[in-house]
Amino acid sequence: MALFELDRSQYPEAKADGSLDIDLASGKYLKLWQGPQHPGITGNMSVELTVCGDEVVEGRTHVGYLHRGFEKLMERRTFIQCFPIVCRICVPEPDFNEYCYAAAVEELAGLEVPERAHWIRTLILEMGRINSYMMYLGGQAGSFGMGVIGQWATYVRDLMLDRFEEMTGARIYHMFILPGGVRDGLPEGFAVRMEETLREVERALKDINDVMYCNAVFKKRTVGVGVITPEMIEPYGVTGPNARAAGVAKDVRKDQPYLVYPELDFEPVTGSVSDIYTRADVRRRDVHVSIDLIRQILQKMPKDGPVMTRLPNVLNWKIPEGETYIRGECSRGEYGYYLVTDGSGYPRRVNVRGPSYTHAMALLEKLIVNANISDVAGLMVSLHTYPPEIER
Amino acid sequence: MTVQDVLSPFTAWKNLFRDPVTVRDPLTERPGAARYRGFHKNDVAECIGCGTCEAICQNAAIDMVPVDGIETKEGDSGLRPQIDYGRCCWCALCVDVCMTGSLTMSNEYTWIDSDPDAFRFVPGVDHKSWDDAELGYHRPDGHRLTPPERIVMREMDPERRIGNFEEIVDGYSVEEARAEAERCVACGLCVATCPAHMSIPDYIATIREGDYEAGLKLLYETNPFSQVCGRVCTHKCETVCAVHHEGDPIAIRWLKRHITDQVDRDRYVDIIGRPAGETGHKVAVVGAGPAGLTAAFDLARMGHAVTVFEARKHAGGMTRYGIPEYRLPYDALDADVDVIRAMGVDIKCDTPIGDKVTMTGLEKDFDTVLVAIGLHLGRSTRIPGSDHPKVAKAVDLLRAITDGETIDVPKTAVVIGGGNVAMDIARSLARLQKQIHGEVGMTVTALEDFSHFLADPEEVKESFEEGIEIFDARGPREVLVDEVGNVTGLKTWKVVSIFDDKGRFAPTYDEGDERIHVGTMVIEAIGQAADVALLGEALTEKLEWNRGRITVDADGRTSEPWLWAAGDCVNGPDVVHAVADGHRVAASMDAVLKAKELS
Amino acid sequence: MKDLTDRLGTLFSLGDITEKRDDLAFVSVAPDLLRAVITHLRDVEGFTHLVLLTAVDWIEGGQFQLTYLVHNRTRARDIGLRVFIDREEATMAGIHDLWPTAATYQRELKEMFGIDFPGSPRIDEEFILEGWTDIPPYRRDFDTKKYAEETYFHRPGRETFDPATHMKDKLYPGEAS
Repeated sequence: MALFELDRSQYPEAKADGSLDIDLASGKYLKLWQGPQHPGITGNMSVELTVCGDEVVEGRTHVGYLHRGFEKLMERRTFIQCFPIVCRICVPEPDFNEYCYAAAVEELAGLEVPERAHWIRTLILEMGRINSYMMYLGGQAGSFGMGVIGQWATYVRDLMLDRFEEMTGARIYHMFILPGGVRDGLPEGFAVRMEETLREVERALKDINDVMYCNAVFKKRTVGVGVITPEMIEPYGVTGPNARAAGVAKDVRKDQPYLVYPELDFEPVTGSVSDIYTRADVRRRDVHVSIDLIRQILQKMPKDGPVMTRLPNVLNWKIPEGETYIRGECSRGEYGYYLVTDGSGYPRRVNVRGPSYTHAMALLEKLIVNANISDVAGLMVSLHTYPPEIER
Repeated sequence: MTVQDVLSPFTAWKNLFRDPVTVRDPLTERPGAARYRGFHKNDVAECIGCGTCEAICQNAAIDMVPVDGIETKEGDSGLRPQIDYGRCCWCALCVDVCMTGSLTMSNEYTWIDSDPDAFRFVPGVDHKSWDDAELGYHRPDGHRLTPPERIVMREMDPERRIGNFEEIVDGYSVEEARAEAERCVACGLCVATCPAHMSIPDYIATIREGDYEAGLKLLYETNPFSQVCGRVCTHKCETVCAVHHEGDPIAIRWLKRHITDQVDRDRYVDIIGRPAGETGHKVAVVGAGPAGLTAAFDLARMGHAVTVFEARKHAGGMTRYGIPEYRLPYDALDADVDVIRAMGVDIKCDTPIGDKVTMTGLEKDFDTVLVAIGLHLGRSTRIPGSDHPKVAKAVDLLRAITDGETIDVPKTAVVIGGGNVAMDIARSLARLQKQIHGEVGMTVTALEDFSHFLADPEEVKESFEEGIEIFDARGPREVLVDEVGNVTGLKTWKVVSIFDDKGRFAPTYDEGDERIHVGTMVIEAIGQAADVALLGEALTEKLEWNRGRITVDADGRTSEPWLWAAGDCVNGPDVVHAVADGHRVAASMDAVLKAKELS
Repeated sequence: MKDLTDRLGTLFSLGDITEKRDDLAFVSVAPDLLRAVITHLRDVEGFTHLVLLTAVDWIEGGQFQLTYLVHNRTRARDIGLRVFIDREEATMAGIHDLWPTAATYQRELKEMFGIDFPGSPRIDEEFILEGWTDIPPYRRDFDTKKYAEETYFHRPGRETFDPATHMKDKLYPGEAS
């Protein structure tokens, strides 16, 4: 497989910080903005491209279109008041924020979470993972002109949102995992309806496999394109499917098991070369893992017992001084919350570590050089980027 | 790349033959799920307007607003939450924290209006189509954001406490008090109900902060009997506590006591602050009970020279002579009295009004006079045999016990009455019986049944624990006396009803259900009256009266311009009410004295 | 984690050590030692993954805390290096040559906290904020509420009542306290 290495001798030398001296007046180069509005990325992000012909000479990621200052906002909200806003940091997979925040607070406040809540949290995270991948599939296919995949994926995602709605009371921002546990148990008959939904997901995946993955055009445009080499993994902080596609079998669910993952049977999905195709394939297979995990959870989880621990009066809740970091494996890689408390009723500092922070900035800027303009959208989507977790 | 890869995508065409998966009419065919967090509903009859929903809302989407038709009354601010749906994020923390469970959510999520202000309304008051929706989010069972259980107060076991007069209640430790203080949601509904309007949420907050001196200062701004009230207050505030609706009310009384326990008594006067400069006005107070001394405390702090005349050996009034030591140790009362003395109040004990000091004399020697003489005369049932020397009044016995007089403790005794005074005398005598005879032989007969009992539930519970028998719904008919003239017991009939259909006191009995309660002594504890004889005939003649009580205006002023009256003798028995009275009288007198200066 | 912090302790002079979990510890190091310690952790101890780099503003003590969280993928454990620097002259040596991705973190810290990392690529380029003229907004002395009040306006017509005050006005308006 030819790696995309072209002759750069025709372009100016890069400076120490990696930027190029581009003389736009020469007429040889063109500045081109990809974004901030385009269908490939959930949320708003743009890449400022410098192109020569149809070849990218330099790319610069710009974010900030969705900056809401969550980390700062949380510093003036009480610990319980932070709970409703964290999910909004990431639209397609909000539950990871709820989980990481809750777990960080629980650790620093010394709260014991009931067993059943752990199971329900795991269930929610896996449901969210499927949904996140469905959005990705739509975007990835769309970036190569296959609009119908997006419709199929959105349909399946919608069915899963129905399950979310009946369990949590909301479709997108569930606000269900809160410090101390989860709001409620599963509704009556949930497992049966979930099984129907999972079958629909499997059916859709089969169709998507036939139309997208086993598709000469898709293969032609993705195999060998945008390769993340194993050497790039550490310097660029690559995690999740992007790294696993390169054969790095690292999955937080396995390596630092949290919630009930130790009791579940699964293997991290890996590939051999992290190009666009393999990354897409790893994600497809990851959906199957999630489906299997959900079935295991519904089968193994305790049917009753408390789902919420006794909280102190949340209006007067203070947490002793401390700091901690909680991570989990979200659909895009390592998601984490760094929480610092100072003994008051408010967080001292919250730092949200989203995988896109490294993937869409330093890594994308590296990969995009020498790409063909027509591949840029596909390449961006293949890193599975959600800009709001970069700017927060 | 295979031929398969070229052909496979064409399988998409099979979807031509599938039915569409879209919902044709989502507005009617697609209601929200049973747990859906849609527009709010509020059961305004249950809602108490405590504002915890507003406090927890991280979007500042909720305002507490007055609404027509809902009155402000004790335990209900009359305010109701108004929600601004331009800000609401549907997190339902307001539903989770709601103290009464009145706030819920419907499963309705579609609503269109061209007026943005329409999306700001008061649920339950501004009626909406989803008000009767059964589905929607309700706080699940067991999901609480405020702990409903009170921190248990440790007390002495019945076996250990029955043989002595030591204080039963231990008081909270610092950790326990902090945990209990943390339960408070600081809504402030209690402040209106407290007769003295103590700043309850604020002083509870000082316990959370551990700043006891600030707490003590707050207490004494509104209540110079804080140590007393921290132990024996009737704590009406706790009955309206927002937490009480779905849990145990905050132990406001015990928390008050905790603050007073935590500060060294030598520091009190410095923290409370010294009185203002002298005004030259002289005030006399008759009666050194809570009402008289509170007024004296306030007036002295305003700079007036206050002299208090007390008939008994010690100051304190009913808090000393009515409340047994095991509930209110004398040193706690003494400490409060000392604080009042430290403000420059001259308390003259053993100085009854009558021979040496007369009301006429006070009128002449002082600018203003306050009568706060309490209720120290026991009432009688006037049943046959009640004039027997072995039939006593509870107040007289309690006073004798306090003054350390030797009383003839019977092996068995029967108390008539179901209020706190009945419990006080029964439990005091029980202790003496235990000390002298080695066992308890007390019986209490009350007119009311247990579901309408007058005494505090904990008094009843503790009396049972101490081996006292209580018979409810028993009407006293006769004190039984044997042929040699000794009291042998009390005859009672079962009470059928206490009040007639007009609500007047007119008990009826079931004569067939008669009972003899054995006892060589019978004690009447059915109420007290004020000893108004000390006013003298001339003054009594001049004053206006209402059913045996001196008529006063809202400020406690009588029909005589120099004379005020306050406390139990005008309002009936209640410590904290007396304190509140004292404040009112002091403010009123001060205004009158200041007006004199100007004229 | 004890084995690791002990080994580090023999090589470097460390500050406070907090063992948070079996797989997480925080260690304070002096600013001029950071580079040596983090390079050692990366090259010798296998902490090859830079998880995050962020700051905490301890305004009361006039310091910024920089937290460098690194992760050992093989042993699945993390160590957080805490570096305290002066808040007034907030400057720190960059680690972008050790991890290229660190440049992004450093650029954000410059913008949001005003902490300079001289020589870090595009350190002065706007990252998230465009045309920002106020003090760096993640500093504790930047008041978001005040900023919002001055920059935006409330939709008119809202008013709220405090329950206790309202009850006083309604039930006992004249009385003290």
